[in-house]
This record gives sequence, structure tokens and C-alpha cells, in this order.
Amino acid sequence: MKLSEKRVDGFVILQIEGRVNTANYHELETKVNELLAQAENKLLFNCQGLEYISSSGLRVFLMTQKKMMQRQGVLYLCALQPTIAEIFDISGFTRIFKIFANEAEAVTA
Amino acid sequence: MENNAKEITFSIKNQVEEIARLAEEIEVLVEAWELPMRLSMNINLVLEEALSNIIFYAFEDTSEHTIDIFMALEQSQLEIRITDDGKAFDPTAVQQPDINLPAEERPIGGLGIFLISKIMDVVEYCRDGDRNRLRLTKMVQE
Repeated sequence: MKLSEKRVDGFVILQIEGRVNTANYHELETKVNELLAQAENKLLFNCQGLEYISSSGLRVFLMTQKKMMQRQGVLYLCALQPTIAEIFDISGFTRIFKIFANEAEAVTA
Repeated sequence: MENNAKEITFSIKNQVEEIARLAEEIEVLVEAWELPMRLSMNINLVLEEALSNIIFYAFEDTSEHTIDIFMALEQSQLEIRITDDGKAFDPTAVQQPDINLPAEERPIGGLGIFLISKIMDVVEYCRDGDRNRLRLTKMVQE
């Protein structure tokens, strides 16, 4: 998994590339907790390069969403690949996240 | 006579790192059996979910255990059979999460088994002596 970060229009955009699974999900969790500790209130996960996610990864997404909602912050997702979008549909995650086609749409929403 | 039956057996140890090692073997298998990409992703996901549950929850000692995975592709049906000697655990008896709950109310756990049940067509479990036997099948387009 590769994580990279940038700031655009008040959002911290975290680009998540590769696979998020049982072996490495804690890396994503650690990075998210860092951002939350910095009181970031607008997060966008760019999932264009996300090729695989298992329940461990989905749990991190869900935990992040719960925490952002608790602090009245915002978590958006964008650019989900079709196979990942399908996993989100199956698990009911599509309805609990705001998902955009790309970064531009997300930051101007 | 069966037509083009393909079968393989893998064995892994009860360590999380073994899941990645198995995924590499599955990649080779997917090519050899000419399975579509989407199916190979599903296979990896289902195996990761089932095996990580076993590795994390089935064993109460610190010994090394072997988990066997048998896979067969025959007449458009993919079959996966996972056998372990951990404590009795029936994943089909776990209550499915309510996927209509809003984020604040969604519990964190229970997703892995749910994903298996949505991806595979049939999930069957039996306890056989000191073994858990999980059988997963899915009709595939060959």
C-alpha cells in the first residue's frame, strides 16, 4: 500500500494506492489517526489506485467516517475502481459515504 | 466423464503472513485456470476473510496449526473447501450485519463473513470430529 497526502481547497487528500488488507490496514489507520490528531476536518480519500480492499480496510474507512461525523467533519471518497465500488455496494458502504467521480467534484461539492 | 476438472490443494500455517503467500500462489493458479480478473479478486477476498478469521479466532494455543485449502473448478462451478483443526466455529451461524444502518450505527465487526456470503453462491459448514470444514461454491462463467 502506498499513501500520499496533499492539501487542496481546505481538504486533506489522502491518495490510497495498492491493497488494504489484514496484513497492512494498520498503516492506513495510523495515518488517519495522525490526520485526526491534527484536527483535520475535511478529508478526501482518493481511491483511484486502490486495487483491493478487505473487511479490515473497510473497517478503517468506517471508523474514520464515524469519527468525522462525531466532530462534524467531512470525509469524502472519490475515484473508486469498479471492483471496489462493488464491494462497497455489497457491504452497504455506498450509502454511508459520499462518493465522487474525481477530486475536482469532491472538493467543490 | 467429467470435462476439464481442475483441482489443487494448498496448506498454510496459522500466521497472517501466510495469506499473502497464498495470494501469490492463487495468482499463478488464476492464470493457469484462465479465470477472469474479477473472479480472482473475489477468490482472494473470500480466502483472506475466511482464513484471517481462522488464524485470529480458531486457536487457543500458541502452537503452529495447518489449514488446508482445496480448490476445484469443474463444469462452471468453483469450489473452495477450507479445513482447520481449531475450535468449533460456524460462520454461517453469525448474524448478518444490517447494511441499511447509517454510519453511526453500523457495528465495526461482522463484515468479513458477510462478504463471503455475498460473493459466494453457497456457504456450508460442518464440524467433523475435531475439524471445521467450510465449503464455498460459486458458479462462474468459463
